[in-house]
Amino acid sequence: MILTAYRVEMSKVFSKWRTFIGFLALAVLIPIVVAGMSMQGEQFFKFATSGLKDTFEFTGHLLNGYAVAYIIFSSLYLHVPFLITLVAGEVLAGEATAGTYRLVLTRPLSRATMVNAKYFATLTYTFLLVVCMAVLSLGLGIGFLGTGEVFIIRQQITVLQADDLLWRFAYAYAWAFLAMATVSSVAFLCSSLVENAIGPIMTTMSIIIVMTIISAIDVPLFDYVRPLFFTNHMNSWKFFFDDPVRWDRIGPSFLALMLHIIGCFVAAHIIIRRKDILT
Amino acid sequence: MAQPAIEIRDLYKRYGAFTAVNGLHLTVEQGDVYGFLGPNGAGKSTTIRMMMSLIAPSSGSIRIFGLDLKADRSSILRRIGAIVERPDFYNYLSARRNLELLGRLSGTDVSKAATDRVLGMVGLGARAESKVKTFSHGMKQRLGIAQALLHSPDLIVLDEPTTGLDPHGMVDMRDLILELAADHKKTIFLSSHILPEVELTANRMVIINRGQAIIEGAVQDLLNAGRLKVTIETPDAQRALELVRATPLGSHVHSSTETTLILMLERGEISDVVSMLSNAGIALLAVTPVRSLEDYFISLTREGA
Repeated sequence: MILTAYRVEMSKVFSKWRTFIGFLALAVLIPIVVAGMSMQGEQFFKFATSGLKDTFEFTGHLLNGYAVAYIIFSSLYLHVPFLITLVAGEVLAGEATAGTYRLVLTRPLSRATMVNAKYFATLTYTFLLVVCMAVLSLGLGIGFLGTGEVFIIRQQITVLQADDLLWRFAYAYAWAFLAMATVSSVAFLCSSLVENAIGPIMTTMSIIIVMTIISAIDVPLFDYVRPLFFTNHMNSWKFFFDDPVRWDRIGPSFLALMLHIIGCFVAAHIIIRRKDILT
Repeated sequence: MAQPAIEIRDLYKRYGAFTAVNGLHLTVEQGDVYGFLGPNGAGKSTTIRMMMSLIAPSSGSIRIFGLDLKADRSSILRRIGAIVERPDFYNYLSARRNLELLGRLSGTDVSKAATDRVLGMVGLGARAESKVKTFSHGMKQRLGIAQALLHSPDLIVLDEPTTGLDPHGMVDMRDLILELAADHKKTIFLSSHILPEVELTANRMVIINRGQAIIEGAVQDLLNAGRLKVTIETPDAQRALELVRATPLGSHVHSSTETTLILMLERGEISDVVSMLSNAGIALLAVTPVRSLEDYFISLTREGA
C-alpha cells in the first residue's frame, strides 16, 4: 500500500506547476553563471586573488569547471531551500486547503501510510532538485571549461588537484541532500500544523532567514545558540573541501541534521494521526 | 440474519463545552436507503465524519458490517464509498485522473473502462478529460458520486448529495439512489435537510437535532404519524373558517385565505368537517389531505430547539 500511495503522491507532486519552479530556476540560473564565467571568469579570478598577489604566484588553469561548480554550490546553497519549501510546505497543508483530505483519508489507507508516502515524495523531489543542481553545475562547468585545480580560501588556502575533486563534490552533494532534507522536514512539520498552504512556506523561509542571520553575526552570546541551528550545520559541506577532510566537524553536524529530520518526521506523524479533519 | 450495515451506540463528540453529537444511537440494516435528517448544525456532518474516521469520537462506538471502526478501519473503508460535504478534488487534474488516483488508493480497478463506467453513470462521460477546475459545482457533485461508486462499495454514504444540482440533476440523483438500492443491492446512508428528497428515496429515517436522534423509524410509519395537513378550497372560506372555529376543531386551524382553509386534522376528522361544511351550504371545490415530512420535521426540530 505504501508503494501505491507513494506513486499517487508523486503523480500529484509532478502534476503541479509549482513543482517545476525550482528546476526551472536552476535550469536558467546555472547556464547563465557558467556562460558568464566562460566569457569573463578570468577577471573574476583576478579580482578574487588580487589580495594575495604580493604573497603568492598563481599559475595554472584557475578558471575551470570544478571552480565554477564550487562557486555555484556555495552561492545557491542558501537559496535552494526556498525553492524546496514551495513544495514541501504545501504537501500536507495543501490537502487541507483544497479539502481533499476528505477524499484521501476516507480510502482504506492508514494515516501513517499517507504521511510516509507524502514524506518520501517530498524527499524524492528534494533529491531530484539536488541532482539537477549537481548535473547542471558540474556537467555544464566541465563541459564548457574543462577540469583543473581549485583554490579554496578560508582560514587557510587549500589547493585541490583536479583528480582529487570529484569525490569531494560527490560528498558535498550528498551533504546538500541531507541539508535540504532537513529543510524539507521542517517545512513538512509546519505543513502538518496548519490548514493553509502559504503558512508553512512562509514560516520555514522565516526560520531559515532568522537562523542564518543570527549565525552570521559574530557575537559571543550567539555562540551558545549557533550549534542548535540546523542552518549552521547545513554549512558543514565546506569541510569536504578541506585537506584532510574535517570528519571531526562533519560527524556532529551529521548527527544534528539527522536529529532534526527524525524529530520533524515523528512530530508530523503524531500531529496528523491525532488531527480531526474539519476542512 | 445479516449484520446491520451501521450500528452507532452512545456516540458523543465534544469540542470543549460544545457537544456536537450527544449520545447518538441508530441502526441501519443492509439494503436500507436510510434518511439522516436534521436542520443545519444538527450534527449530521460531524456524525458522518466520525463514521468515515475523519474525526475521532469523544466516546461511543461505531460498527459497520459488524466490524468495529476503530479496530478494522481499513477493512471497513474498503466497503464504503462516500461524499463528505463539499465535493473537493484536485483541480489541476482531469476528472479521469482524479478517479484513477483515488481508485488506486482504494485498491480498485482504475482502467479506462472502469472510470468510463462511473463517469457515464453520473453523466460526465463527455468531460472525462477536462480539468476539474473547469467544472461547475453541480459537475463536481456528480464527480463526487462517481468517486464514491468507483470501487463498488456495499455502503454508500451521501452527505447532502443534491446540493448545487439543477432540477434535472436532482431527479437524476434520486433515480440513481433508487437504482443503486434496488438493482445493485447497495445500502445508502443519505444525509439531507431536503425532506422531499428523503420522502421520495428512503425507506427508513432518523431525525436528529442538537446531536440527538429525535425520532427514528420507517418513513411510511412516520408519514402516517400525527395529523394531516388538509387544504379545503372553497369560494366561501371566511364563513367556513367561522363555522370551524365554533366547533372543538377550531384549535386545529393552520391558516386561511379568501379561497382556502387549511386545517391540521386526524384522518377520522376530515369527513366530520366536510359533512359540517356541506350541511351549512358551503360549496367545496377540493379537499386535499397531505401528509408531509416537512411539517413533521419542522414541528419536531422546533420542539427540540
